[in-house]
Amino acid sequence: MDETSIGWWGVPLAIFAGAIRISTPFLFVSLGEMVTEKSGRINLGLEGTLIMGAMSGYGIAYLTGSPWLGVLVAGLVGIAFGMLHAGICSLPKVNDIAVGIALMLLGTGLAFYLGKPLVQPQAPNLPSINFGWWSDLQQVQSALKINALFIIGVVLAPVFLWALRNTRWGLILRIVGDSSDAARAMGYSPLAVRLAATAFGGFMAGVGGSFLSLYYPGSWNEGLSSGQGITAVALVIFARWNPMNCLWASLLFGGASALGPALQSVGVTQGYYLFNAAPYVLTLLILVLSSSSHRHIAGAPGELSVTR
Amino acid sequence: MNSDLVLRFGAGAKIFAVSLFAIVLSLIVFGIFVALSGVNPLDVYDLMYMGAFGSWFSWQNTLLRSAPLLLTALCTALPAQMGMVIIGGEGAFVLGGLAAAAAGLLLSDMNAPALIVQGVMVIAGMCAGGAIIASAGALRHWRGVNETISSLLLSYICIAVLNQMVEGPMRDPTSLNKPSTRALPDWAMLGNIPGMDIHVGLIFGLLFCIVAYVLMFHTTFGFAARMVGGNVRAARMAGLPVGRLILVVTFLGGAAAGLGGMIEVAAVQGRANATIASGYGLTGILVAFLARQNPLIVIPVAILLGGIDASGGLLQRRLDMPDASVVVLQGIIFVILLASESVQGHLNILGWLPRIKPRTSAVAAAKGAE
Amino acid sequence: MTSALVHEPVPPQKAVKLEVVDMSKSFGGIAALASVSLRVEAGSVHALLGENGAGKSTLVKCIMGFYTPDTGAVMVNDKEVEIDNPRQAHMLGIGMVYQHFTLVPSMTVLENLVMGRSHVTAFIDWKKERAELSAFVDSMPFSVPLDLPVASLAAGEKQKAEILKQLYLNARFLILDEPTSVLTPQEADEILGLVRDMAHTGGITVLIITHKFREVLAYADEVSVLRRGHYVGGGKVADLTVDAMAKMMIGERDIAPAATRTERAPGVICLQVRGLTADDENGDAAVNGVDLDVAAGEIVGIAGVSGNGQSELVEVLAGQRPLTGGAITVQGDTYHATRAEMLRHKLALLPEEPLHNACVGRMSVAENMAFRNFDQPPFSKGVWLSKSRMRAEARGLIERYRVKTSSPDAPIATLSGGNVQRAVLARELGGQVDVLVAANPVFGLDFAAVADIHGQIVEARNRGAAVLLVSEDLDELLELSDRILVMFDGKIVYETPIEQADRTNIGRSMAGH
Repeated sequence: MDETSIGWWGVPLAIFAGAIRISTPFLFVSLGEMVTEKSGRINLGLEGTLIMGAMSGYGIAYLTGSPWLGVLVAGLVGIAFGMLHAGICSLPKVNDIAVGIALMLLGTGLAFYLGKPLVQPQAPNLPSINFGWWSDLQQVQSALKINALFIIGVVLAPVFLWALRNTRWGLILRIVGDSSDAARAMGYSPLAVRLAATAFGGFMAGVGGSFLSLYYPGSWNEGLSSGQGITAVALVIFARWNPMNCLWASLLFGGASALGPALQSVGVTQGYYLFNAAPYVLTLLILVLSSSSHRHIAGAPGELSVTR
Repeated sequence: MNSDLVLRFGAGAKIFAVSLFAIVLSLIVFGIFVALSGVNPLDVYDLMYMGAFGSWFSWQNTLLRSAPLLLTALCTALPAQMGMVIIGGEGAFVLGGLAAAAAGLLLSDMNAPALIVQGVMVIAGMCAGGAIIASAGALRHWRGVNETISSLLLSYICIAVLNQMVEGPMRDPTSLNKPSTRALPDWAMLGNIPGMDIHVGLIFGLLFCIVAYVLMFHTTFGFAARMVGGNVRAARMAGLPVGRLILVVTFLGGAAAGLGGMIEVAAVQGRANATIASGYGLTGILVAFLARQNPLIVIPVAILLGGIDASGGLLQRRLDMPDASVVVLQGIIFVILLASESVQGHLNILGWLPRIKPRTSAVAAAKGAE
Repeated sequence: MTSALVHEPVPPQKAVKLEVVDMSKSFGGIAALASVSLRVEAGSVHALLGENGAGKSTLVKCIMGFYTPDTGAVMVNDKEVEIDNPRQAHMLGIGMVYQHFTLVPSMTVLENLVMGRSHVTAFIDWKKERAELSAFVDSMPFSVPLDLPVASLAAGEKQKAEILKQLYLNARFLILDEPTSVLTPQEADEILGLVRDMAHTGGITVLIITHKFREVLAYADEVSVLRRGHYVGGGKVADLTVDAMAKMMIGERDIAPAATRTERAPGVICLQVRGLTADDENGDAAVNGVDLDVAAGEIVGIAGVSGNGQSELVEVLAGQRPLTGGAITVQGDTYHATRAEMLRHKLALLPEEPLHNACVGRMSVAENMAFRNFDQPPFSKGVWLSKSRMRAEARGLIERYRVKTSSPDAPIATLSGGNVQRAVLARELGGQVDVLVAANPVFGLDFAAVADIHGQIVEARNRGAAVLLVSEDLDELLELSDRILVMFDGKIVYETPIEQADRTNIGRSMAGH
């Protein structure tokens, strides 16, 4: 890359491009987890689901040559993991957080086991749409190459917001998450709704994972995900269970994660690894600032265990 | 009297039975899984036994691997007595190792006596690990931040700090492929238990487990801590200093993992580098859950899982299975354990606060509808 | 969700007559209902009277289809019907308002009502729904704001919204489970009056579950009394006296006479609260400057509708909630709810829902009984704990307070509610007590246990303890207190010595007038 042409201007540009690239898995995982948490469950196992999605999406794309088929299969694998989580959680006296930890371990192990033969081969990547055709600058062009999944995610956020308020399914989800007693009294089965919501959350996390292996970084290896899943779960709390806030928060996190690489691109290599920790530090700071020891978080679903 | 005895020991027997059931069932499921990927499960079982407990050599290997597991398991098990689910053992382990390496290098450069160097390394490792987990405890108590999420985030931050230090300020310029700190001098390293090829870290781990058990189950401090863990409202009503108890217990948990990191540096690696973050923290979580968060039961469980861990290398060499096989088996055990525990109908065995329901008859009414 | 596809019978449009014939239900060999028969005439108000555990809720749960009865049948308008689940009950026009509200707190009344329907379209046209519902509400005798979240409504409004919802869902046989437990006397009168009027004009039939004779006398046409799962009597309310009903309800058991307060001049002030403020869990001010004094040998009762800051006040005194301002002094010393202060001042607490507030469910009865003094000799030697001493002491307390448990080592969560309460009572009142704070100490207990616990509280007072008694049950306060304060909106708004206490004035202050 030719840095000299725009010099330090490359930093905000790289952060912008990085924010969009890196935020995409955050966006999908957090939108899915938002739905799960709205139903009164938390699924910490999405970290494992994300990695399974990355592995299976990559494998299918490699075998069939179609990255979109890979995305679909990644989502289906996510559904399977979501249903496993919800299935165990529907047994009496099982804690959703513990099940999440177990699935984090299982998902990671399975992905590394099954994905071992996929480390070498190169699968086709997802397409992107070039919004930078008007510029001669190579940096601007590459920054405005926006991936298709991100655009889908951006569209989904307001659709979710609308659906939570104006559709029967959206309202049932809110009822179950806020008071399972009320839901039962109305004749809705909390377990069934949570099963669906967790399966959906798994689907979104699987798709988010496939983005990692099929677009950015765009290959499969065991270091692909380090905490994006768990960060996205925390991000939902920060977003106050509002889909639009999930979008803004994902972009913020994407921007924070892009800081290190962006600075590196202009030759600042000091503290590269610390900049890698930026999203975790940011998540933690935000959690600290948005929580309180003797107060419920405003907008939290009444049945959610983590906020009680 | 008879019913008292049944109550006191029957629960323990039931826990043992459930764990055994979960492990046996998991081995069967794992066998089906490897059979599907084209490996004969009987070969796998055979090799696992050989690799874990088949010879004195493999026993030593197993015990070597269980030493850090004893300590990282305590990082989850001790806070669990207070109703907290901490999963940041990996971070405390890594930071403990880094702090111990820093302290050890500093003091050995000054030619301090070996015992002093090792003592300060132990303290540095325990303080660093303890501080990390205690901060998750403090955030939970004073800011209401979920400790499961925060401890994992802290863990990622610790690993980033380790990477930064060994690639930057603490890097030994001669370590080219695998950035590391300088090596500790041989005289500052922890030795072996006399007559065995096992370093004294195993003794540290066993002692820590026993002390933790006595502390939690036979002292007034432990009683108070378990009250907080069982129902924080009842503990407050009894006037207990909840915040202080949480800080101390989370610190002890983190200190255990930090000590594990120190041992990894001072008895195994000899220096700090990225390999000390090799998953002992994660396996420790599973050990703690299988042991029902009881520090004494951690000991046999850590040996068992240390054995599984130790056999991984053999599976890889002889059957060409991926090194993640062990993680798959661990994941299966974890999932099946949680499910079977519920099926056995144990009361709130994992140690978190009961989900408090309003005293409504509508709840009961609605439950009846299920 | 699936029922939209099934052809449903249209619920009846006027009051329903309902009969229960020879209904029995047992749980694990224990008969909760034994051959109960009962007839509720269309357009009447029928009271179902009985103490806790008498089988009232089992009976209505069988009617609503939550439980399947072992024997017996339900007849609606003289036709035998099968009710397997609450949805079928709704189809037959039977609806129930639960004791604790089942509306979704974060949703508006409008959203709650629409979602309560069995048919909801996949996409909801809020404009149309609001117009239709406004029209329906206007046709009803009482109204509720449609666009406010349920959480922001007062208890009386929530109760109205619950009833409105049932009427909106075409319930023509309305079961009200302890409908007035969270209302001021005036709110209770208003709502029961409206419901009775609707019944008497033939629109609905009402079955009220209650243990309050006052409400039976004032609003019910007929009454049925249950005791230990059996129908023990009933008839037209006009033909019955309170004594007769009480006798049916309690049976011929000996009830320890309520302990009488001995005459004594109030002693020195033991518990003093000045300008106390505290927040609730949403961070909103719940206690807004409470001043109160409790003298030795005095029971001060605090009345109020739940949610007016009483529980927060008790939690501050119990050390379960930080105060945001003001000061508490106990026997002249500043008090921060530390363990040392509690021990020094011999402070005891009887919180509501003892299993939730004062016990660790999975620890044993013996351990729970040692919470106050596990770190004192003889339970501890230095830092070491003596479990055998704990067990030995617990055996004594179990005996003395008649706690029914299989063993001192049984987890306390396995005990029944009354026995958990007794275990806590044994722990808190087993030794010398100088200051006692009690909150709804007998909630959900049967007569024998209530009399027992009331006796213990009065006895502590007679021995010279300063007692602060917070209760939602005005009768309990009128029976036990030397002085009554009323709490409204986080403040003490009314005070009266017991001799001049008057239900109407207290009720008015509870509503903030």
